[in-house]
This record gives sequence, C-alpha cells and structure tokens, in this order.
Amino acid sequence: MVAIHSYWDERKLLVFVTLIIIACAAMLLELDASRHGRQSPIDELIAGVLTPIEGAITAAGDALSTEAQTLAQANEFAARDRELKQKVRGLAAANERLRADAAENRRLRRMLGMEQALPRSSGVAADVVGFAPEAARKEIAIDRGWRDGIRADDVVVSGDGLVGHVIDAARHDAHVLLVTDPASSVPAYLSRTQTWGIVTGTSLHAHMKYISQDANVLVGDPVVTGRGEVYPGGIPIGRVMEVDRKDNALYQTAVLQPAVDFSTLTHVIVLRKR
Amino acid sequence: MSSAHPAQAAPRLREAARVRHTPAGGSVDAEVYVAPPFWLLLVLAVVAVLLQATLLHGVTLRGAHVSLLTVLIVWAGMRCGVWTGGWLGLIGGLLEDALGGGGANVLGATLAGFGAGLLSSRFFSDSIPVFVAAVAGATIVRTLTTLVVTELALGERGLFHRISHEMLWQLLLNCVVAALVLLVLRAASHVSTPRLR
Repeated sequence: MVAIHSYWDERKLLVFVTLIIIACAAMLLELDASRHGRQSPIDELIAGVLTPIEGAITAAGDALSTEAQTLAQANEFAARDRELKQKVRGLAAANERLRADAAENRRLRRMLGMEQALPRSSGVAADVVGFAPEAARKEIAIDRGWRDGIRADDVVVSGDGLVGHVIDAARHDAHVLLVTDPASSVPAYLSRTQTWGIVTGTSLHAHMKYISQDANVLVGDPVVTGRGEVYPGGIPIGRVMEVDRKDNALYQTAVLQPAVDFSTLTHVIVLRKR
Repeated sequence: MSSAHPAQAAPRLREAARVRHTPAGGSVDAEVYVAPPFWLLLVLAVVAVLLQATLLHGVTLRGAHVSLLTVLIVWAGMRCGVWTGGWLGLIGGLLEDALGGGGANVLGATLAGFGAGLLSSRFFSDSIPVFVAAVAGATIVRTLTTLVVTELALGERGLFHRISHEMLWQLLLNCVVAALVLLVLRAASHVSTPRLR
C-alpha cells in the first residue's frame, strides 16, 4: 500500500494558518490605529528605529546627488578649459551650493507666505524623511509627530500648494497622504468660474470629478481647495491639463497637473488646527 | 498483489537509485548549497525597505517603483521554503507598513512569501524563467491584496481600475530586477566556488 502525500501537508498548513492569523491581526491593528489617526504599537516601535536611519539615508542621498551634479558640471568646464579646471570646479561647486540655498530660501519664503495667508492655522515646518515603500500608496513620512502638536487630518502644504493631509501621527514622525493618492478626496473649486468639484488622485496626477456639465472648464484653469471640515479654502491644488466632457454624462471631469512637484519635495508646513 | 511495507522497500530503492545515478566515470561535479541564515535575510529586508523608502523613490518607470522586498521574499521563499518565505514576507510587510502603507502591505507580502515557498518543492529556484514568473505572480498577488484591503478598509471603490497600469509597470521593473539579481548571484557563485576535479 502506497502512502499518498498531500501537497498541503500538515506542516505547511500549520505554517500557513499561523502566518495568516498573525498577518491579519497585525493588519487589523494597523488599520484600526490608522482610522483613529495614530500609529499602532508595532509601527511606533519600528518607525522609532527606522525613521532616523531613513532621514539619514535621504540626507546622504541628497548630498551625493548634489555632489554628483556639481562634478558633472565641473567636468563640462574642464573639457572647455584645462587651465581653469580647478578654479572652475570650485566655483561651480560654490555656485551650486549658493543656487541650492537660494532655491531653498525662495521655497521657505513661499511657504512662509502660504502660512501667513492662512490665519486660522498655526504652521509647523517639517522635513520629508521618506516615502511609502510600495507604489500602491502615495504617502510621505515627515519628521514631526504629536509631540509637536500634529494630529490626524492636519493639512500639509508646501510653497507651491497643497501636499495632502496627515493620516497618522506618532511621537516623532507622521505620515501624510498625498493629494495624488487614489484614496484622497479634497473639496475644491475652479477659481476662475467658482465651480465646485472633488479632487482625487490617480497616482501620477489628480482628477477633479463632479464638475457641473454647464461649467466652462478650460485647460490651464487653476484649482484651489474649498473650505471644508479638514481643508481651509484657497490653497492651490493644481491646474487643468485636460477636460473630459461627455454629452450623455451627468458631470464632467478634469485632469489636473498638481501644483507641487512631489518628487523633489523636501520641506513642508503642517497647518495645525487651533 | 504485493503488500510489502514501505519501510522494507526503502533500502532496496535507495540502492537501486545509487547504482542507476552513478556515471561510468565514477565522479560527478556537484555544488553544495547552503541556505542563507534567517538573520541575514532580515537584514536584507530592512535594507530593501529603507532603500525603497528613500533613494529608490526617485527611480520610476511611468510612475511605478521597483519593489526589492518582493524580489527578496520570492527568492528566499523559493530557496528556503514556506517557513522562511512566509515569515520574511510577514516581517517585511510590517516594516513597509511602519514606513507608510497603513496596514495594507503585511497580508500581501506574507501570502507572496508563502506562495513562493510552496514553489520551492516543485521548481528549480535557479531557473531565471521560473524565478521571474514567480516574481511577476508575487507582484500581482501583493498589489491585488493591498488594493482589496485598502478598498475594504477605506471604503474607496475603483482603486484597481485607477492604478492597474502602474501595477503592470511595477511588474515589469520587478521582473527585470529579479533576472539581474539571479544573474549576479550566479556569477558570484561561479567566482567564489572553485570546481572540484
């Protein structure tokens, strides 16, 4: 008599059941914490260790990138004039640093202007320390948490416009759901025609849905936040890139180019609710 | 009809197999494979997640990012079995959720690791087509699980329709990285393992 070995033998089944129970428990714990605008104990523990490393890697990467750009520029100058190679390299490096400082200065001034234009909130400056590891979510991690007064649903802006809102805050860090995430919904209106709609993300861009069929929407129209429970009014979200209007549809939809370049985002301001 | 007990037949079968598989020349080339220790895989998982959350975020193909963790857990699962693949997926998913993901990654990563572990008893893990296909499958499983969890948890409908194209680009990126990783590992193994004659 030959013993029949099942593909799902007992040991594999035991491992599978154990893993699924633990994974589901961890997932439910995290989802519950996320709904309440905080991080689960597991997240707090892991993020407490990894976030400083993440910040250090990001800073090192930025520094390396700047240096690489500087070196590339220096090489161009060197090819043109060998005698002035060293001098040009030094000047280019210094110039690059100054340019970066000037750009940062301009960004910070714009952010300050944005913060002052929103008198109902008090802002906390924060650095972006990382991004969501998986592409399915559009999130950033910032280096400020509830110790700095940050809570879930606080709005996050940069000098260019709306970044998103805080979805959970730990002691020293917080996660921000970007306006380009498909799960994000922002009440908004076209500032030229004062037509309302809802802006949701599409990963790369954003869509403004539920625009009245009667509204005259043009490419290039600016879109700003409408005042609601979470968002203050008047923060730039982006501009209309494309209009999708069908005669038999109830509403028209606009594709937006976000005002913020999320790939180069380094500093943000969190608008705390008073 | 024979009713011999399997335990009695086993020594005869082993002897028959030994005689049949020994070549006429008397010696064969063989490589001894030692599974990587679990702590090393954990360190690699932490490094993979940190890289994804920082430096690799700027590397995109039509909005999609490469998932080093998916490649790692599939490789570990196919090499070491369901236990290692499943636990590495679970811990890797937790790490990803801690750095951003809101709890949607842990289940998908665990399923992907366990599934890759199941393949270890059926397929040769050093085969590039098999490994690449497993990574592609794991990417799909992870994305679908993440989307289902996100839709159920947040009540948001139609997410898959909106980001399905991004999943396909990520699948392509992951498969390219998987093939490269296996080629590099093969080259490294040939360099470090002298052939016995």
